[in-house]
Amino acid sequence: MRGTNLGEFEELLLLIVLILQEEAYMLRIKDEIKNQVNRSISMGALHTTLSRLEKKDFLKSEMGGATAERGGRRKRIYELTADGKVSLQQAKEMRASLWSQVPSFELKFNG
Amino acid sequence: MANSDHPPRFSLFLIRWLCKDELVEELEGNLIQYYKEKERVPFRAIRYWRQVIQYLRPSTLKSLKTQISGPMFIFNPLLTFRNLYRHKSTSLISIFGFALGLVATFFLYSYIHSEVTTDHFHANKGEIYRTVRVSDINGTPYRIGVTSVPYAQALLNDFPEDILEVTRVVPQDGLVTVEEKRFMENNVVFADDNFFEFFSYPLKAGDKSSVLATANSVVLSPSAATKYFGTDDPLGQLIKMDNEYEFIVSGVMDEFPANSHLDFNMVFSIDLLEGFDWFDGWWNNSLHTYVRVPNPARAHQLEGKLDQFMEKYMGDDFARSGSKVGLELEPLEDIYFNDETRYDFARHGNYASIVTLAIVTIAILFIACFNYVNLSIAQSFTRAKEVGVRKVLGGAKSRLIFQFLTESLLILFISILLSIGICELLLPVFNASFGLEVELNWLDQNVVIFMLVLVLVIILTSGVYPALLLSSFKSVAILRGSKLSSGKNVGLRKALVVTQFAISIFLIVASLLIGIQTSFLNSKDLGFDKEAVVLVDLNNSGIRHNREQFKDRLLGHANILQVSSFSGEPGGFYDASAFEVTGIDKPPSRMRTLFTDTEYFNLMGIEIVAGRSFSKEVASDQEFAVVLNEKAVAELGVDPEEAIGRKVTMPGWDIANVPIVGVAKDYHFISLRDEIEPLAILCGGFHRKLAVKINMRDAKDQLVFIDQTFSELAPGFPMSYQFLDDRLGDLYEKETQQTRIFSAFSGLSIFLACLGIFGLAAYAAQQRQKELGIRKVLGAPQSS
Repeated sequence: MRGTNLGEFEELLLLIVLILQEEAYMLRIKDEIKNQVNRSISMGALHTTLSRLEKKDFLKSEMGGATAERGGRRKRIYELTADGKVSLQQAKEMRASLWSQVPSFELKFNG
Repeated sequence: MANSDHPPRFSLFLIRWLCKDELVEELEGNLIQYYKEKERVPFRAIRYWRQVIQYLRPSTLKSLKTQISGPMFIFNPLLTFRNLYRHKSTSLISIFGFALGLVATFFLYSYIHSEVTTDHFHANKGEIYRTVRVSDINGTPYRIGVTSVPYAQALLNDFPEDILEVTRVVPQDGLVTVEEKRFMENNVVFADDNFFEFFSYPLKAGDKSSVLATANSVVLSPSAATKYFGTDDPLGQLIKMDNEYEFIVSGVMDEFPANSHLDFNMVFSIDLLEGFDWFDGWWNNSLHTYVRVPNPARAHQLEGKLDQFMEKYMGDDFARSGSKVGLELEPLEDIYFNDETRYDFARHGNYASIVTLAIVTIAILFIACFNYVNLSIAQSFTRAKEVGVRKVLGGAKSRLIFQFLTESLLILFISILLSIGICELLLPVFNASFGLEVELNWLDQNVVIFMLVLVLVIILTSGVYPALLLSSFKSVAILRGSKLSSGKNVGLRKALVVTQFAISIFLIVASLLIGIQTSFLNSKDLGFDKEAVVLVDLNNSGIRHNREQFKDRLLGHANILQVSSFSGEPGGFYDASAFEVTGIDKPPSRMRTLFTDTEYFNLMGIEIVAGRSFSKEVASDQEFAVVLNEKAVAELGVDPEEAIGRKVTMPGWDIANVPIVGVAKDYHFISLRDEIEPLAILCGGFHRKLAVKINMRDAKDQLVFIDQTFSELAPGFPMSYQFLDDRLGDLYEKETQQTRIFSAFSGLSIFLACLGIFGLAAYAAQQRQKELGIRKVLGAPQSS
């Protein structure tokens, strides 16, 4: 497996997928990113990142139900793997630990 | 409504076609849903397409490898290049030979194209006709390109429904003065004010309807404009003609888009000439009259009425001289190739030699293609083993054929690119060495079509044949190493080689014949001495007035041997006139006339077969005496001796009862293309040229002396002169040029044929290396 550390966007995607749960398919992910962090990402770009995460074994996907508004096509629903959850957790802890080492006055000046 | 909800079908097709099969369902679903959800968003289509395009990325696209079954059998350029490199000499010969053949084809095509499309750029080309007069010399009709001034107006008056427009073009030469600079210009025309509307010669500056409207306007060619005024704006500038008449530049022409039968540097308004009294006569034939008719059928109708027309205006003259002149219409596009027409100032091409060159072009093309096909077929057999391996590994027959075809396509593509490069590189050399102005136009529709057809044909012959043949071999047989010489294939190759050489031999013979013909033109005994004679134009009234003084002064120089003046030099202009001879009842016959002085026969070295030549001592000779040539005497039906002493009357010239004093041996006074015609040489009359026989040692001194004398007698006019042998060479300039092109390119085709044979032989030797090795080991001497 290639490197297992998470990029910023990858971390964001994993979190969104977690939030969306059953609704974690392409369009919803795209909308959620737009709503939550106000970033406009094309589905193509998302596809690239999502499939990369799948390759890293942080995500898995399966085909969900077909609906009329999709012209009878099924959707691909993403879900975090155990690895994905672990590395998300690690990323969070790593940040927390780094944050705790920042001298508090530095923050005040920039705040 | 259902449709407005559905995304463009093409987008989904694109996704289905290009993206991985396992992703298609999801992607389509996403897109359809996206499209529906964005129903109320502005620019939905643009947003949607952005998503579609963004979806086409490496992570979603099908891999190229899976598109074609297996990397082993895809088109592999690298392999092609490796193959080419491995057989360096053969590939070099086939690619370069082919490229060379193409180069020759392109050059010749461009040349032929520019010749054939002469005058095609005129917008009214189908409606424009030139009037030509038809006269005859004792039964043989010939056409005369020039007409006189009144024709145009009379035609327009008499046939108002048939003729839409007329225009006249008068050729002149003259001295052009710009400030202090003087130029002798030979390609000058005077034309009616509708000239630029009638024809489509392009104008860079000036309006075509008004540019010649004022009496003193002149239009310059771009080269003349630069010559006179450099980079200054020529418009409105003053130029002087013959030191006397002032003209204002009212326009500048553009380069002609193609060849034209008229060749001119500047166009003056014809109004100046209208003032001269010589300008008006029906018999002063000195210009081209062009008419525009609504359609060719009308032109044909009109032609039927022209005899009446001639009778109406010149009936009296016809009755007096006893000979009639007809009038015909010559389509504009035919003028260039009608080189039989006499006495016009149009440029002419020779249709027969264009056809010959076209044949050479096709021959070269054939040889180049045969070479290429031969070599590539031969070469493809060295790859039998490769084919065997591919087949064993499961290569389908169609894949193999595809591979061979793409390979030959690549090689062809290289050759064509190479030949285009060489063409561009060699074009100036080609133009300079043959004295041409050919331009290459790669976007010419014909060139593009030609290339496509060529590629197709060559692919079919050189690609398909070996592809089919090779791919049908049994792989087991190939890999076992059995011999691969199928008899049928060798037969085809032999046939190609034989045809190739047949073509080459044909070309060799043809170029030899043409060479003999040309050297005949250059070395044939003309019946007079053409060496060391300088022709000086008596081109202004000053020098014409002082003609005798000029001669006397010239003879004062030690190295000037003889001087004579005349109306037309050999190869030049000879009027035809009706003759009556006493004691001969036959209807008056027509003869060419030459007016000259007593020195002519001496200077030219023309032999007298009966009677005597003109003499200074005989006073009556000064008032016209006649010497006929043998042909003329034969036409009269008498022996040379019998002809002497008879009196000649020429109704057209007011010359009556002039004695025949002698008969001269026939000499070629007109081009060798035509037979010798009856000629009457008269002493006296109007002279246009002066011939000076000089001692060729230190010829420069003599020329300088002639020039000085000329400028003393005709101040302000530069002298224009030419050597007689050059003048005669000019007659055959086009022939010589085309012979050179022909021999150069037939040489090339022979070279190509040899190259092909060499290639095949080298290949055969290579194939038989093993055999030769064994023979040598067994003790065969080299010579066997």
